Amino acid sequence: MGNATIYREIEPSEKWLKTQITRLCLYFLGMGIETAYKNVPEVKKEMDSLPDTFSFCFTVLNGPSMMILKNGNRVKYVGEKESYHADLELVLKNIEFAYLMMTGRISTPDAIYHNRQFVRGNLGHMMLMIRVMNAAQALLFPNLLLRFYIKKVPRLTMRTMINRAKAYTNATIGFFA
Amino acid sequence: MNTQQKESCPKYFEFFNSVKIISGYKALGNISSELDLLGAKRPIIITDKGVSKAGLIDHVVDSFGGTPVTIGALYDDTPIDSSNVAVNEIAGIYRQQECDSIIAVGGGSVIDTAKGVNIVISEETDDLMKFTGNNRLSKPMKPFIVIPTTAGTGSEVTMAAVIANPAQNVKMQFTSPLILPKVAVLDPVMTMSMPAKITAATAMDALTHAVEAYIGPQKNPVSDAFAFSAIELIKDNIISATKNGGDKDVRLAMANASLLAGVSFSNSMVGIVHALAHATGGLCHVPHGVANAILLPHGLEFYIRKSPETAGRIGKLLRFFIAPEDYAKVPIHERTKSTITAIRDINSNLNQLCGLPLTLTQAGVTKDKLESIAKAALNDGAIAFCPVEVSYEEALEVLQAAY
Repeated sequence: MGNATIYREIEPSEKWLKTQITRLCLYFLGMGIETAYKNVPEVKKEMDSLPDTFSFCFTVLNGPSMMILKNGNRVKYVGEKESYHADLELVLKNIEFAYLMMTGRISTPDAIYHNRQFVRGNLGHMMLMIRVMNAAQALLFPNLLLRFYIKKVPRLTMRTMINRAKAYTNATIGFFA
Repeated sequence: MNTQQKESCPKYFEFFNSVKIISGYKALGNISSELDLLGAKRPIIITDKGVSKAGLIDHVVDSFGGTPVTIGALYDDTPIDSSNVAVNEIAGIYRQQECDSIIAVGGGSVIDTAKGVNIVISEETDDLMKFTGNNRLSKPMKPFIVIPTTAGTGSEVTMAAVIANPAQNVKMQFTSPLILPKVAVLDPVMTMSMPAKITAATAMDALTHAVEAYIGPQKNPVSDAFAFSAIELIKDNIISATKNGGDKDVRLAMANASLLAGVSFSNSMVGIVHALAHATGGLCHVPHGVANAILLPHGLEFYIRKSPETAGRIGKLLRFFIAPEDYAKVPIHERTKSTITAIRDINSNLNQLCGLPLTLTQAGVTKDKLESIAKAALNDGAIAFCPVEVSYEEALEVLQAAY
C-alpha cells in the first residue's frame, strides 16, 4: 500500500478579483433597483403588486449576494444578508458564470437559457423581478452596452438620463456611507 | 433571404433525462419487475374517476397477477386541477397504508399530483409551498412509475409539476430533476378509450411542445432530435388517431410522440404560446391542449414579426409537414408562412372531425378576459424563454388575433 501523504491535498485558490467585481456589480444592481422603484413608475407599479413584506436575494452559490427588502411602500437594498429566509432567491451556480454575466459576456436571458441559475420561490414573482432588474440595468448601463445585458434596449429619453444620474449618485453616496 | 439559415450549435447547453422508457404492446406487464428492481412491492396507485370508470385501472391491477406486489391503496379521487389538498390527503393514505412506491395512472393532473405526493413523502413535510421554485428538492424520491392515459402532456418525462393551492389562490410550480419518474410505461391499451376531442387536443398540446422546444432559445442538438421525432410522428398520426381511436399502432405512435416532445421541452422549455395557454386555462378554464391548438399559429406569427432567427427555424419545420419534393419547391422566404398554414390545416381538419375549437371565442373565452390573460401570461415562467421580450400590448395583440 502506497504512502498516502505523498499525494498532496489541493485547496483551489480563491477567485478574489472575480468575486470582488461580482460583489461590486451586485451592489450597483441593488442600488439600481432601489432607485428604479423611486423614479420609474413602471417599476413601482410592478413591485407594488408584490406582497407587502417581501425579500428578494440575488446570490452566487457560496459567493457574494445582494438583498432587496420591500416593506409596504418602501423598497430598500440592504446589502449582503443571509439569503436563507428570502421569499425569492435567484442563485447563480458559480462565480465564473456570475462574472461572465456581470461583465456583459453572458446576457441575463442567456444565463437563463444556459441553466446557469436556479430560482427558489414563486416563479411568477421571479418573472416580475426579472423585469425589475431589466429596468434597473437600463439605469446602470449606457444603451450601447445594454444590449449585452437585456433582450430589449429601451429608447433613450431625457427621463432615463436623469434617472441614470440619480442611480449613480445614490450608488456613490451609498458606497462611501 | 436566399439561403436557408444555418443551424448554429449553442455555446453552452445542459440536457437531462433519467426516465427509463418502456413502450409497446403489453408494456404494463413489466411494471412488477420494474418495482422489484427499485426495491418496492407495495405501491399506491393514484388516478382519477375518469380513468377508473373507463376500466383502465383493471389493466394495471391485472398486470400484477401472480407477482409479489400488493397494491397498498388505490386513490381515484384526484381532482381535475391537482391541488395541495389532494396531495396531502394522498400522502396521509400512503403513510397509513405503509406504501413504498407510487404509480400514477392518468393525464397531466394525476401525474402532477403524484409528483407532489412524492415531494411531500420524500421531503417529510406537509407544506408543499416550501418547495416552490426550481431545484429546491434535496432528498432522493420514492420509486415512482407513471402510466399516461393521454398522449399530450409528456408529464411522464418532465421535471416539472404545477399544483394549485386553493387557500392562497396560487398555482405552485415545481421544477427539479429529482421529481422525474423512475419509469414511464406506454401501453396503447391505456389510451385507446380517449374520446376524439381529447385525442385531438392532447395531440396538439404535444405538437406545441415539440414546435416551441425547437424554436426556443434554450434549444440544443439533443432536444432538437427529440422534437423532430415527435413532430414527424404527430404529423403522420394525429388525424388517424382522432378518426380511428381503436387503431393500436396509431395510439402507440401518439403516446411515443407525446413522450418525445415531453423530453424535448423539459430541457429546452416552451415560449409565448404556452405562457398564454397557461393563463387562458387558469382564468377561463380552457383545456390546455385546446388553448395551445388555438394559440400556436398566432404565437408563431408573432415570432415571425419579431425575430428573424426564430422565423428561420419555423420555416425549417415545414419539411416535417410536406413531402420532401414539395419542400424543395417552396422558396425559402415562404417556408415560415407555409409551416403556419400546414399547422392551420391540421387544426381545421381536427375541427371538422371532432369540433376542436379554432378560436378563443369558440373555446368560450369572453373578450373582457383578454386583458387579464395577457397580464397573467407576463408572470408565467414560459415567458422567460421567448426569444424576444414580450410586452403586455404584444401579448394582448396575439390574444386578439386568436379571439
